[in-house]
Amino acid sequence: MLVMLALIALPLVTDPIQLRRYASLVVLSLGVLGVVVATGHAGLISLGHGIFVGIGAFSMATFVDNYRLPFLIALPMSFLVTAAVGWLLGLPALRIKGIYLALVTLGFGIMFPALAKQFPSYTGGVSGRAVDAEFNPPAWTGLDPDGDAVLWRYGFCVLVCGLMFWMTANVLNGRMGRAMQAVRDDETSAASFGIDLPRVKAGAFSLSAGLAGVGGALQVVLFPFVSHEQFSIFLSFRLYAAALLGGVATIAGAVYGVVALVLIPAINDAFQLLENDVIVFGVGLILLTFVSPDGLAGLVHRAASGNKFDGVWGNVRRRYSGS
Amino acid sequence: MALLLQRIFDGLFNSAIYASLAISLVFIYRATGLLNFAQGELATFSAYVGFLLVRPTELALAGGALVAFLPGLPWPVPLAILGAVLFGMAAGALTERLLFRPLEGRPVLSVVNISIGMLIAINALSAELWTTRPRLFPSPFPSAPDDFIGIGGARLRFESIGVWLTLLGVLMILGFFLHRSKAGLAFRAITANRESAQLVGINVGRTLMIGWAVAAGIGALAATLVADAVLLEPNMMLRLLIFSFAAATIGGLDSPGGAVIGALIVGLTQTLVPGYTFVPTELSMLPPLLAMLVVLLVKPTGLFGQKRVERV
Repeated sequence: MLVMLALIALPLVTDPIQLRRYASLVVLSLGVLGVVVATGHAGLISLGHGIFVGIGAFSMATFVDNYRLPFLIALPMSFLVTAAVGWLLGLPALRIKGIYLALVTLGFGIMFPALAKQFPSYTGGVSGRAVDAEFNPPAWTGLDPDGDAVLWRYGFCVLVCGLMFWMTANVLNGRMGRAMQAVRDDETSAASFGIDLPRVKAGAFSLSAGLAGVGGALQVVLFPFVSHEQFSIFLSFRLYAAALLGGVATIAGAVYGVVALVLIPAINDAFQLLENDVIVFGVGLILLTFVSPDGLAGLVHRAASGNKFDGVWGNVRRRYSGS
Repeated sequence: MALLLQRIFDGLFNSAIYASLAISLVFIYRATGLLNFAQGELATFSAYVGFLLVRPTELALAGGALVAFLPGLPWPVPLAILGAVLFGMAAGALTERLLFRPLEGRPVLSVVNISIGMLIAINALSAELWTTRPRLFPSPFPSAPDDFIGIGGARLRFESIGVWLTLLGVLMILGFFLHRSKAGLAFRAITANRESAQLVGINVGRTLMIGWAVAAGIGALAATLVADAVLLEPNMMLRLLIFSFAAATIGGLDSPGGAVIGALIVGLTQTLVPGYTFVPTELSMLPPLLAMLVVLLVKPTGLFGQKRVERV
């Protein structure tokens, strides 16, 4: 609820340039959601979700520019393309588990920018590509196509993000979501209950990739430029850290993660604290693993319900005592 | 022919670096079953400390005031490298004690979180303290343009020979530590069977701390040796880490000898494959990465690893 209010208030308190910057963080929420789905719900640790954000962005740029498709058609197509790539990349996850999967996704995440450079007709190669097509408000809205374009794009992105969150929540609460959690908790027993392991795992990874892909595609809606540099391994780290900071076990966690994703740079900008705010994500990740393994969502949940919560330090004390 | 030889020499130089880092990864994996993604960043940070000791007055270098208390600065290169290694060992031991030991028995995700959190934090900290500008870390070996032996038209640089000799020295010291010292014996006991080791009175915590210190020290050494070739900067070890992980995986994650063989395979494919196939140099990471993927898929124990039996 609070988050919704903040999203509505954001355009009112910022100027268009800032708005565009925060909007590009808001759309990354879909990348965070992707990590939550893969890592939190299906137990597939992914350190490379920046890849899917990148593929989503590149395919969006290709569809609207190379093929001159309208944005509203290109967006779902980008989702499908990324989901398909996610399915393919998810195939090794059928056999590789846990920390080894983290290693493989980390490797591909580090290599992705170099790989993207090799396909200049889609990615613009070394220098990146400008996107000519613009997503402007249609005449019936009565918005000024120049002055209000940023606002219109922001509204559109928030709407799409909301839709994707709603859709994902439904999937996770449904048959597929339960199956994913069963697989995460114990593969052997999940299989013995008749759950089709390969289908569930590949499906989960594919969905999570598709979500991140939409996040990337929306970046093209906001900014008419894409480059491999935007999708370095540090984007993947940011998404992973934000998801785990928020709490990967629930959708609410993804929302908290996004709040962290937006707020940390905002605070850093306001006070001019650090050259690069990514350090906060790293330290936060370490701290929360000790204090509250289920992230901010878990912290808030326990504080609100008042049980089994002896303060932040209680948890730390327990970790260190007696060892 | 000369080109082939040159590529082999270059590949061998890379292999030595990957081998060092891969050994430090294997060392920790054997004892704890953990892949430490922060190993590379820890090494980079230690290399920066070494750089402080050898070039304390360089521009935009935080900590210059701190090391000013040390006598005889700037130190000669080998001494500075020793300083970096000692710093790395201390940092490794502290990491084990403060970050990983309290999390024993927690799910894999927690361990991944800590090592990734460390990776991000240390990387950003290095950039924050020392900026991202690449630094020229002096090599401890003669590395002037004409310091090489010509073999069949190719250049075998003194630096490569030095790095290989250092690696051999490290392996010998490591072997000595593992097989001739009490701490090494305890370490091997823990690797073989942790609970039994604990039952016969081995201080598991302290031994693991020593193991982490040794691993981080080797990593720091690798970073200072490679820093001359790839230039010292905060992201220096990210790519090297993946190459080293690939090497360790191919050789078998629990086999130090396998790590060296794996490093040879990775280092040579890295220079030979882009040289003779359609794979561009920029994608030199692709073949090792794919090899790692195939090994994990088909034979997760690698070439020389021992099979681990998982009980349900």
